[in-house]
Amino acid sequence: MSEIKTIVYKTVDEVPEFVVSEATMLWNKTGSWRYLRPGYLNKIPPCNQGCPAGNDVEGFIALIGEKKYADAWRLLKEENPFPAVCGRVCYHPCETACNRGQFDHSIGINSLERFASDHAPVGETPQKVKPESGKKVAIVGSGPAGLTAAYHLARMGHETTVYEADEEPGGLMRYGIPEYRLPNSVLDTEIDAIRSLGVKIECNTRIGNDLSWEDLQSFDAIFVAVGVHKNNKLGIENEEIKGVFSGLELLGNITRGKEMVLGDHTVIIGGGNSAIDSARCALRQGSRVTLFYHRSRNEMPAFAEEIYEAEREGLKVHFLRQPVKILAEGGKVSGIRMRQTMLGEPDESGRRRPEPVPGTEFDVQASTIVTAIGESADLDFLPEAVKTEYRRISVNKFTQTSSLSVYAGGDAALEEHNVAEAIGSGKMAACAIDAQLRNSELTESQIIGKTGAVSVSRYLKHGNAHAESPDSNHVVEFKELNINYFEPQARNKAQKLDMNDRMKGFREINLAYPEDMALKEADRCFHCGICTMCDNCYVFCPDVAISRKPKEEWGYDIAMDYCKGCGICVYECPRSAMFMEEEK
Amino acid sequence: MKKVLMGNHAASWGARLSKVKMIAAYPITPQTHIVEELSEMCGDGSLDAKFLKVESEHSAMASVISSQSTGVRSFTATSANGLALMHELLHWAAGARLPIVMVNVNRALAPGWNIWVDQGDSLSQRDTGWVQLYVEDNQEVLDSVIQGYRIAEQVNLPVMICYDAFILSHTYEPVDIPDQDLVDKWLPGYQPEHYLNPEKPSAFNGLVMPDNYMEIRYKLHMAHERAKSVTNEVGQSFGETFGRYYGAVEAVECDDAEMVIAISSSATSPARLVIRELRDKGMKIGLLKMRMFRPFPTEEVRAVLKGKSKAVVIDRNCSWGKGGIFADEIKGAISNQEDMPAIYSYITGLGGRSITPDLIHEIVTEVESGEPPAELSVWKGLKQ
Repeated sequence: MSEIKTIVYKTVDEVPEFVVSEATMLWNKTGSWRYLRPGYLNKIPPCNQGCPAGNDVEGFIALIGEKKYADAWRLLKEENPFPAVCGRVCYHPCETACNRGQFDHSIGINSLERFASDHAPVGETPQKVKPESGKKVAIVGSGPAGLTAAYHLARMGHETTVYEADEEPGGLMRYGIPEYRLPNSVLDTEIDAIRSLGVKIECNTRIGNDLSWEDLQSFDAIFVAVGVHKNNKLGIENEEIKGVFSGLELLGNITRGKEMVLGDHTVIIGGGNSAIDSARCALRQGSRVTLFYHRSRNEMPAFAEEIYEAEREGLKVHFLRQPVKILAEGGKVSGIRMRQTMLGEPDESGRRRPEPVPGTEFDVQASTIVTAIGESADLDFLPEAVKTEYRRISVNKFTQTSSLSVYAGGDAALEEHNVAEAIGSGKMAACAIDAQLRNSELTESQIIGKTGAVSVSRYLKHGNAHAESPDSNHVVEFKELNINYFEPQARNKAQKLDMNDRMKGFREINLAYPEDMALKEADRCFHCGICTMCDNCYVFCPDVAISRKPKEEWGYDIAMDYCKGCGICVYECPRSAMFMEEEK
Repeated sequence: MKKVLMGNHAASWGARLSKVKMIAAYPITPQTHIVEELSEMCGDGSLDAKFLKVESEHSAMASVISSQSTGVRSFTATSANGLALMHELLHWAAGARLPIVMVNVNRALAPGWNIWVDQGDSLSQRDTGWVQLYVEDNQEVLDSVIQGYRIAEQVNLPVMICYDAFILSHTYEPVDIPDQDLVDKWLPGYQPEHYLNPEKPSAFNGLVMPDNYMEIRYKLHMAHERAKSVTNEVGQSFGETFGRYYGAVEAVECDDAEMVIAISSSATSPARLVIRELRDKGMKIGLLKMRMFRPFPTEEVRAVLKGKSKAVVIDRNCSWGKGGIFADEIKGAISNQEDMPAIYSYITGLGGRSITPDLIHEIVTEVESGEPPAELSVWKGLKQ
């Protein structure tokens, strides 16, 4: 206060023209008025929590926005060995979680992931992140769960062997997803990268057949991710007759290059993704295809976009129809007898149960019948110590089974059957196994947000990622954004293959974003909870108490001597990357 | 470069040539084209300025007050009710001594709703501390915006350039657009004495107690006194560079005149025609174009009117309950002076009604008849 001096103007000439203080006001430390204190804190964007594979979605989109495409791919690879696969087949719950969906339309995250993986630096292989542990891990099954676990375990320094019953690795990614959605070459590239870490993949080796469970006991830990391959039966007459296939059989045969003669009319029974994929493959074999589903469109478990595309390709879908018996002629399929159903009360899945309507039977001519009403796991090879329930391996949230050192994931252990969930479970298993083998800690704080997947990068930081504040694991909601700073902008749609070209074979249907479109789409991201240095806080601070950090450094400094704690910076932050707390 | 421009685009070009750095405006008929054109100039990069869209004229003025406070040359434009909405902040801009230039397109105030010419909007802001210039044609619009910044920045006062709705704003005339290099030399970049500067933080426009307030306001008034001569100097200097001379007033054929018509804005042009015709017939009549209204050019008016027998003041405005505003101001300027003419005050052309040469002839004939001036302003052109 000693700097304050009193000036008395004695004449009119001495009085200044302007009403401006004669000295600086720096002595006036208005920070003493403050009882609330602003601060910067990055939080969790809802897409990151929404990704079952635990990707840093916001982070890779930000890198695309900066045209750092290879870095975007590298960031994805920190959590997920399959960005090129996921960029094609993921059902993208991140987009459902995206806050922008409540503003105009969610970000095209799936297409951006595909774009990042298309820009992967050729020949670059992943690096190990921990020294060799001297421990050995066996993985049963080379689907997305098994291979993801293998990838992370190998990066964490464990000697990892994957046993695969089929001829080639990939599980349902290879044998269940047709090439028009996921070309094998794309899958092979990502599997080769896993092999490059020293992972051994032993194909044509079925546990319980080629090797016994006991043979695996020399390993320090086992991860079981055998998937679901047993086709559920319709339980009707003539189901074993020639011309009846399961969905997985049809899809697998096509992948293996077996000739399939489907005839003029293929009937599909079922409403899941296998049913839709089977139908679209049959269409590509030149057959007319009709799908019967026993509930209505609302209850159909297949991804809506896939159903839409299948119908565009010529699939006829009939709802509320259930099979009664398969009709045979000369030892092979000649048709199917169907009847109508109506929806009754909801069943345990919450969906309304289909009930047959008596007297509504009708016959449909068919040359081939494909049944795709669900699959279940073949778990006969497991010892009793590994508990199962309803043909599913029982696991806790860290993928541990009832048997020590045995972990399980993927479709064989999960309720949700899809690639992203399987990847998430494989990653969780890798972290849990590493934690067991190295005696380190895996805690819930390494989970992204409240309901997300585990984050490997957080796990590698030994759980300290959120030491700064528990709020940093807070998932930013739409209402926390200041949407005055965003303008509506339509979502960019990636092109699809022309209908004439796609039906000639198995060419990939979904085309990648061109660069300008990817940049436009990345630009739509709100970056919920993550500071982008947009300068709003800096511009709005009425006390000029906020300054940019020195060059090359990220973020801002707040001069607490002068910050009055008015909170304008926090309010004007478009993306909730700031907070206010009570002055201590 | 000559272009055929509407008055509003002449104003936009004036701002562009002045290299304003910040424009904040809210659209209102008949001003809209000005900012529309400026937004396009900002959009295509021909003008390197920030264009701020705001939700009202009050915010437009607040924004240019803010930007000008940071030492940045700022521009806005408005009309009628928009200007009225700015009222409080007009005082602020002048009291803070910010050299903002604003264009006001003179338009009648509602009700009844009327979008046509009337000077009442800006004249009712006469005590806000703004310099006011009333200009005659589109060339003068462009030239006056540029001169406005020279005047404003020399005396630290805001300047309002006023011109007539539709008669100028929407009418196309050939306009000479001066060379940018020449304008840059004549109007260098703005160098403020005081501005918001984080390197040298100061408190601006804070509390001034009774012991200093009068002095501060006296200085504001003195700045206006200086603005008269500055306006004449700037108009002269502009003429020397660009070939078009301006001043606080313009006297046409007044030296030997017995009668003088005092008039402002676009109505000056028909008055020029009338005095030429009457001169041709041998009448000793002159014209006093009132370009500057605030500060009021008292000395210039006295010098022109001294020794004349009659002065006719034609007002396109009315101070309700008093009469023609220019007439009243001129009466005030010559009071207590020897040898001054009788003042005949006429009100006409309100709300866009035309002031035609015939009408001016009629007024002159009436004044010439020998009757003494009426007690009150005479409303000319009323329906009989």
